[in-house]
Amino acid sequence: MRALLERKGVLAAAIAAGGALVAVLSRWPSPGASGSLLLSLLFLIAVAEGCIAAAAAGEMVNARWVGSVRKELLSVVPLLLLAAFLLLLTIPFLDAYPWARHPGKWLRKDFFIGRNALFLLLAYATAMRFAASPPGAEEAKRRASWYLLVFVASQSLTAFDLVMSLEYPWISALLGGFFFVESLFAGFAASALFYLLVQGRPATAPEPGSRSDLSDLSVLMFGFSLMWAGLFFAQFLTIWYGNIPEEVGFIARRVSSSPLRELSVAALLLLFFIPFLVLLPTRAKSHPLAVSLAAVSVLSGVAIERYVFLAPAVRIFLPGLAIQLVCVLLLFAAAAHRNPGRS
Amino acid sequence: MNRGEGGMETPDRYAKAERDILAAMGKPGKAWLAGAGFAAVLMLIGGVLWAYQIREGLGVAGYTHPVNWAVYITNFVFWVGIAHSGTLISAVLFLFRAKFRTSFNRAAEAMTVFALMVAGLFPIVHLGRSWVFYYLLPYPNQRQLWVNFRSPLIWDVFAVGTYFTVSLVFFYVGMIPDFAVAQRWKEGIRKKVYKVLSLGWKGTDRQWRHYAMLYLFLAAFATPLVASVHSVVSWDFAMSILPGWHTTIFAPYFVAGAIFSGTAMVITLVIPLRKALNLQEYVTDDHFESIAKIMLFTSLIVTYSYIVEFGLAWYGENPFETEAFRYRIAGNFRYLAWAMIFCNSLVPLTLFVRKLRRNMAYLLIVSLLVNVGMWLERFVIIVTSLAHDYDPYVWGTYSPTFVEVGISLGSFGMFFLLYLLFVKNLPVLSITEIKEHL
Repeated sequence: MRALLERKGVLAAAIAAGGALVAVLSRWPSPGASGSLLLSLLFLIAVAEGCIAAAAAGEMVNARWVGSVRKELLSVVPLLLLAAFLLLLTIPFLDAYPWARHPGKWLRKDFFIGRNALFLLLAYATAMRFAASPPGAEEAKRRASWYLLVFVASQSLTAFDLVMSLEYPWISALLGGFFFVESLFAGFAASALFYLLVQGRPATAPEPGSRSDLSDLSVLMFGFSLMWAGLFFAQFLTIWYGNIPEEVGFIARRVSSSPLRELSVAALLLLFFIPFLVLLPTRAKSHPLAVSLAAVSVLSGVAIERYVFLAPAVRIFLPGLAIQLVCVLLLFAAAAHRNPGRS
Repeated sequence: MNRGEGGMETPDRYAKAERDILAAMGKPGKAWLAGAGFAAVLMLIGGVLWAYQIREGLGVAGYTHPVNWAVYITNFVFWVGIAHSGTLISAVLFLFRAKFRTSFNRAAEAMTVFALMVAGLFPIVHLGRSWVFYYLLPYPNQRQLWVNFRSPLIWDVFAVGTYFTVSLVFFYVGMIPDFAVAQRWKEGIRKKVYKVLSLGWKGTDRQWRHYAMLYLFLAAFATPLVASVHSVVSWDFAMSILPGWHTTIFAPYFVAGAIFSGTAMVITLVIPLRKALNLQEYVTDDHFESIAKIMLFTSLIVTYSYIVEFGLAWYGENPFETEAFRYRIAGNFRYLAWAMIFCNSLVPLTLFVRKLRRNMAYLLIVSLLVNVGMWLERFVIIVTSLAHDYDPYVWGTYSPTFVEVGISLGSFGMFFLLYLLFVKNLPVLSITEIKEHL
């Protein structure tokens, strides 16, 4: 399998095939087909940009663990091109946005699609430049910082445009920051999974008090679970305490009926409680099973949370969504599997 | 025997480090006396003006309807911000194993404790009847009075109180091995005091093991605590339904702003300290470059918050929000708002240039400008939103009186006086950690 993926053009063909399948499903004669495309796209952007951002952040601070998974993390760069292509497929869906009938200066279809596509392409270009630079060099750090700047802008636009404007005029100034922190969180979770996938189970148990790349990644996941909870709480508390009808409605729609209520709780469990509690003991931080559980929990949490964000505003074709998400995950696995070497 | 740089043997290098760092605790020179004297005079002026305000009432402050929170609350948020970053810098850099931490951790921790002492005074200064400030404390009493837990001001009491306790313990625990070193080098009453403070520290393996575990625990505990406490301070504003205040981004924005201003204050304090005490060997330009990068990073977060706040006020088309932000940059306080943007967003961008990050004079100027900019930021946020809320009928403006200016200057006097006393009485750098890196 690895030999096949190593062949020139095979990964590109796989991405094209996966993209085509996702595209076909988005045209399925079902009312929620476009909604499922949007959700898959949001998940793809979050994890792909997050993986590259994790590598870039590690590069900036000379993190030791980056050496183990740099190639795998940067192998997902082509998926950003796929994301830009999928974004174009959402054009017919834009009529579902509440502002579409009364477009303004900022919220109008051409500018909306144009700026989001531009930032995805910018993220792709800066990520490519970063991936091409030698690890540890000053040039790599400079390029990493450029990527991170574009990453923040791109994630913020994703949050404010693709998600928040679905409920226009509802606004939350924190949503952009929340999205890029969550994307980085997903990037660290993916890093841990890539590490276990590529490096396999550590041959010997680490000495008590010793550090391994895996435990460093676990500490980052643990820290980001706390940070995610802090941002979640800051957003929730301000809206709940303010108790203004036009603000509170956003939360009320997601917690007052089943199954969104249960899914909201599930997202909270998966993105905070599970990674926090699983990774709390020191030994768990270098235990492959515990780390895998936490990482899978985080990635599932991101997908479910995106569903919770979209579901009250758009219809989602669930079978199509399931196939699209599987396609996206397989593309991540294929991209990472293609680069088995250590840098 | 190991030989390090300069061919000096390891025990000699350790002894030299101890001597160099403890030399700062010698007899005060003229510059120290002048600085301490000036700070004491400022503090005295502040104290006298506060007494005058207590006697005459809050009317002597510039409070007018609708601006009933102004310079005092600005000072509170500013000093809490300075305080928050001290422990955060020390604890986070410890958790991230950043070696340059040793140059700044003691200064940052001391700064935290002193800034909190100053900050804690301002809510009391701001009270109409300062002498009943203890009503804020949740203690059982016979009058059936109980605190209002729904009030964000009560959250402040808990948050700041907890933070002060943890910061003080963190500061003290970090100094225990250094007290043991100091008592070896000092004579007389000072030797006795340091001996008591060192809690019988002998430097045995067992003591070091417990010390390392406790220090790690405190660092890990302090880090989320810092974020939570400054979030609580931000919620003093965000929980009210006031245009410009009621926004979800306030908590992370205030936390980033706190680290930004605190980093600037650490640089402001340590550059002159290094020169005055000849500590160039231990606090190097590389260390300053690293901390300048943190200042640049946090400046970018603060700038992002400015952009998002203004951008969403425009995007949301809420007339009250739009007007609040228009007034902020084009109203009576526009010069302060533009100065804030200049100091906090534009000037730090120059730190992308490596040469400037390593230029101490330039770094000092930038850090001073950031301190000014962050004070202005708090002032602009507080005053403009109050002065220009929903109903044009009640719009007003504000200008501070000499009492508010004097008390504010007094707070700076108190902070610098405490800091100068710290320099002469406690080790300004962590001796044991410096020795680890020799």
